[in-house]
Amino acid sequence: MRWGVLLLLAAVWLSLSGPYTVHEWLILVFGLVSVAFVWRLYAALDREAGGDWEFFHPAAWLRLPRFLVAFVYRVALANLHVVRLILAPGSELHPRLRRVRASQKTSFGQILYANFITLTPGTITLDLRRGELLVYALDAQSEADVVDGSMDRDVLRLEGPSD
Amino acid sequence: MTGALDVATAVLLVIGGLFCVVGGIGLHRFSDFYQRTHAASVTDTAGAGLMLLGLMFQGGVSMVTLKLILVLTFLLFTSPAIAHALVKAAHGHGLALELEVSDEETDPGPGDSGPAAGGE
Repeated sequence: MRWGVLLLLAAVWLSLSGPYTVHEWLILVFGLVSVAFVWRLYAALDREAGGDWEFFHPAAWLRLPRFLVAFVYRVALANLHVVRLILAPGSELHPRLRRVRASQKTSFGQILYANFITLTPGTITLDLRRGELLVYALDAQSEADVVDGSMDRDVLRLEGPSD
Repeated sequence: MTGALDVATAVLLVIGGLFCVVGGIGLHRFSDFYQRTHAASVTDTAGAGLMLLGLMFQGGVSMVTLKLILVLTFLLFTSPAIAHALVKAAHGHGLALELEVSDEETDPGPGDSGPAAGGE
């Protein structure tokens, strides 16, 4: 789906530069050049990573809304938990380091999962190696949110069936 | 109608601002580098997210809102990358972690740091 990426980049550029500059052909040319440049860069990086273009298939985009809902829900809950830790007088932290399995098939999926954990307040991914994440958590509650594998399943669902 | 949107924007901006303040308080209250990064992520997600959402109500269905969504998207990609880079650099250079439970001893060993799956 490399053409999908090209279209996406062009759309991002167009939306940031605005339709009001389209009549200035020079800016349009600059836009085309920069989109093409980023596209080639992405293609090269993707080839290096083993090729996960399939993440840009329309089917993956259709699964995105459901993932976003789960994402917002989990990040919101984690935010409230950490806010409570910050504001509650005399609350104690029990930091811990845990290995967690990232069961996604693609490198993109695993990185998405690692970033999901890092974005969730209370947990940060320290390392990703051989499909295992090293996760640093603030306390038992934050740890449990990751260890129960629900976020892992959210990303798996977004990744979709293998074929 | 406009009144309701303005109220929604005001409420979201104030709540987002409160999350930012709480993140700042956490930054001071937590006791070491690693814990403080967690407080900062409250500001990055709830703080920035709610404030941008509030601004989207002012933009309506327009290019402005689309740009705000793009800002939020870029933020959601860059902030975990930065947080991870900071924490990994600190850890890699031996800044001690105070831990109650640790799986670190069960290191899977050296190897390519990339994921095993996906590569061909």
